[in-house]
Amino acid sequence: MTGKIVGMPKGLLYHYYYVLWKNFFDALGFRVRVSSDTNKRIVNTGIMSAVDEACLPVKVFYGHVLDVAEQVDYLFLPRIVSVTEKEYMCPKLLGIPDMLKACMINPPCLIDTTINLRNNNSQIYQAIKEICAIIQVPLKDGIRAWQRAEKAQGDYELYLQAGNLPAGFNSNLGEYPIALLGHGYNIYDAYLNMGMIHKLQDLGARIWTKEMVPKSIVDTYARKLPKRMFWTFGKQLLGSGLYYLEHNQVKGIIYVASFGCGPDSMVGDLLERWARRYNNKPFMFLTLDEHSGEAGLVTRLEAFMDMVKRRVG
Amino acid sequence: MKAYLGIDVGSVSTNLVLMDQEQRILQTVYIRTQGQPILSIKKCLAMVMRENPGIEVKGAGTTGSARQLAAVITGADSVKNEITAHAVAASAMVPGVQTVIEIGGQDSKLIILRDGIVTDFAMNTVCAAGTGSFLDQQAARLGIPIEEFGELALKSTLPVRIAGRCAVFAESDMIHKQQTGYAIEDIVAGLCEALVRNFLNNLGKGKQLLAPVVFQGGVAANPGMRDAFARALNTKIIVPEYYHVMGAFGAAILAKEEVARKNGTSFRGFGTANLDISAKSQECTGCPNRCEIVSIVNGSRILARWGDRCGKWSGLSSPGSIVKEKDLMHA
Repeated sequence: MTGKIVGMPKGLLYHYYYVLWKNFFDALGFRVRVSSDTNKRIVNTGIMSAVDEACLPVKVFYGHVLDVAEQVDYLFLPRIVSVTEKEYMCPKLLGIPDMLKACMINPPCLIDTTINLRNNNSQIYQAIKEICAIIQVPLKDGIRAWQRAEKAQGDYELYLQAGNLPAGFNSNLGEYPIALLGHGYNIYDAYLNMGMIHKLQDLGARIWTKEMVPKSIVDTYARKLPKRMFWTFGKQLLGSGLYYLEHNQVKGIIYVASFGCGPDSMVGDLLERWARRYNNKPFMFLTLDEHSGEAGLVTRLEAFMDMVKRRVG
Repeated sequence: MKAYLGIDVGSVSTNLVLMDQEQRILQTVYIRTQGQPILSIKKCLAMVMRENPGIEVKGAGTTGSARQLAAVITGADSVKNEITAHAVAASAMVPGVQTVIEIGGQDSKLIILRDGIVTDFAMNTVCAAGTGSFLDQQAARLGIPIEEFGELALKSTLPVRIAGRCAVFAESDMIHKQQTGYAIEDIVAGLCEALVRNFLNNLGKGKQLLAPVVFQGGVAANPGMRDAFARALNTKIIVPEYYHVMGAFGAAILAKEEVARKNGTSFRGFGTANLDISAKSQECTGCPNRCEIVSIVNGSRILARWGDRCGKWSGLSSPGSIVKEKDLMHA
């Protein structure tokens, strides 16, 4: 047990890979400290520190980093370039460690290892080796911890695929299945999206997400496009979206995008066109940005659910 | 006489409709909200009381961006979003309507109906280009009363091309055209065309806009806009007689439906017009979110509270709740 603390910002890829890395560092005897839930202070610090043209989730990520940075020995900021063969993460995620290094005055020791599985899955072992060197643990311990973490992450993904929402949400509410599609950091951050999941559940929606669709189905449906989608999340959104469009239980689809997100503006629009051309399912595109006025969002969600209910009749 | 009330409190205007049991409109009120929704709701109620003193209200409904506020003040039976209210009203006025265009002060909507059911809708995004406020502003800049703005557009023989994507660019484009000597009616007509183009590109994207097309909301008063829509869609544009209060009419119909379901109304009565109702806001210091809490107060009694993310304030509308404020602030 080293007892040293690894800081993890509660933004961006936290919403996908928290279970993985938490288990990894736990197994090595480190303590993991996660930043607070997104709140006004975090958003404001983020907006003031980040580069102007970044999307809101990236700006908020800055706030999370600064929230946790001073209380930890290590800050976990890997450069995740690719997690799947022949696919990429969003360009802004690739630049995260560099952007943050430029804004922190006295950062703790950074774990900014590059993870790039684009050509080869086994690159992960190179990455583990680098992480082990930074946090000064023997490689064999690191590999054992990784195997345990990978198993936990796999179990967690299966748990989500079984129709569950992440911790903090009740998966069993609502009677009208609605696919709520978007990046995890938009869907599961209740501050950024103004409590969208709870609001929809109050209106009778049963929330289905892209995390509930197994990879094999995503791959099959994503192949309907004439060209391969090379953004990992873009492919997940498109594949699950096309699947939900055909799924006869799903009563409507809501696509949540960040203002200024390149992949979202393309993937969301592709899906919307598909929905209108081949399918008659209610589809709504919502854009999130810094404005905090809820009235506009509430009106749209209410109108959407009214429409769904009247159509189901 | 028995009647139903519908109140639509929008950013620019507050509208009220009083209708009888056969959904015939008895009275309409259209006043400017002028940033004071509580006052304008009270004014509307006072106007109904004056003109229809013997009326017995069987139910009340609210809609519009201040629908929650209006519901708390009046004790409304139904509180519905504007999309549903406008769709219901248009269906009642023009049975079989398939497309509803609604342009109000700060927002614009497009609603697609099939067999009387909303099948698709769109609202403008954060941008207010092409809504009533922008037309108001341009009319004022050109020194033309807004009521004559549309008539002027009809006199145009050759509408000039104006960039309609953004209100700021549209304005600079108009100024440029005006400085190079284009006739004012051609510029005004060009603006109407630009706004219609923007509306159809933005909201109509991928949707089938089939006749009958109903155009409602304050901007439907503008013949220049009606004309531009008719040309762009190549169909007749129906503007209902009560186009300016359709949201309120829809709210009244929804109230009637709701009252039939629950038996009896919770409407507070016209006495509301004389009550001392006000809103006060404060910042909660309980967590870093620093939510701005709004309390709707009647004298010393709190009618409702909202604005908090955690819900600890909104639950408290009972009379004794003021005492607990201090604890809540730091809880």
